[in-house]
Amino acid sequence: MPPRQRGQGRPRDPSGPDGGRQFPWAVIYYRAPDQTVPALEFLDGCPGTIDAQFTAVLDAVAAPPPRFSGGGKWEAMHGKMGGWYEIRLTGPGREQFRLFCLLENGTGDELARRGLPRPAIAVITGMRKSWRTVFSERDYQRVQELGREHQRNHPRRIAI
Amino acid sequence: MTSQILDVGLHERRRGQRMHDPEYRTAYERAAREVAQTDAVIRQLDLLRVDLGISKAELARRVNRNASSVRRLFTAGQVRPELPLIVALADALGAELRIVPRTSEAQRATHEPGRQRRVAATGLALAD
Repeated sequence: MPPRQRGQGRPRDPSGPDGGRQFPWAVIYYRAPDQTVPALEFLDGCPGTIDAQFTAVLDAVAAPPPRFSGGGKWEAMHGKMGGWYEIRLTGPGREQFRLFCLLENGTGDELARRGLPRPAIAVITGMRKSWRTVFSERDYQRVQELGREHQRNHPRRIAI
Repeated sequence: MTSQILDVGLHERRRGQRMHDPEYRTAYERAAREVAQTDAVIRQLDLLRVDLGISKAELARRVNRNASSVRRLFTAGQVRPELPLIVALADALGAELRIVPRTSEAQRATHEPGRQRRVAATGLALAD
């Protein structure tokens, strides 16, 4: 999935008086087959201030142009995690918090097939780690497995 | 094609509930300001670059940076801007960064003992 460019692929309101008006992307949370919502469980377990910061970054990224890109806290991932985006925050004691997201974009028909009324940021899961430690390959594999499971669902299975 | 359209409003409802917590609201608003300021500076730099008719590659040359790093900065593929790069880009575009106190908070700071000489909160402005 290519990195999102400013103003490209944004939802537009075709029926309003201002045909060029653009709407924010939706923010949705993946729900697992066992009905748990990994990202919300992660956020609920974070310090409240970290939860608030994640939400602020999500809102900034989802906002219509000319908003930019999440103030440097939203990053396209590379390598085996290509196509993923992460929000990177530092908490008390320099603990590291990461929220892993996928973008849901496409034609109106494709979005409808996914059950989405407009493009969306799909928040899949999150992880935290101590300062100067790294996530393991297995950690990232688990994230990818959740993402693949999310993308197999038509319509998407999300928290409501 | 399915006709089932999902309810995608959970995020807004969750945020609305959390905002009743003053600590959460303060953290949210602070983070939103930080993100907005960072984005605004990058956007202003890009607008200035376009106004001056300078390509991203040319701007990168002027600050001795890899063209791809400057391109990423302006296209949001990866944006984790470092202050020295921002300052260098501003300089190359004939501009400079300034710290601008937010009036209300600066005034409050002057009434707090021991803080008269400190600036409590700032806005960042790009001046050309």
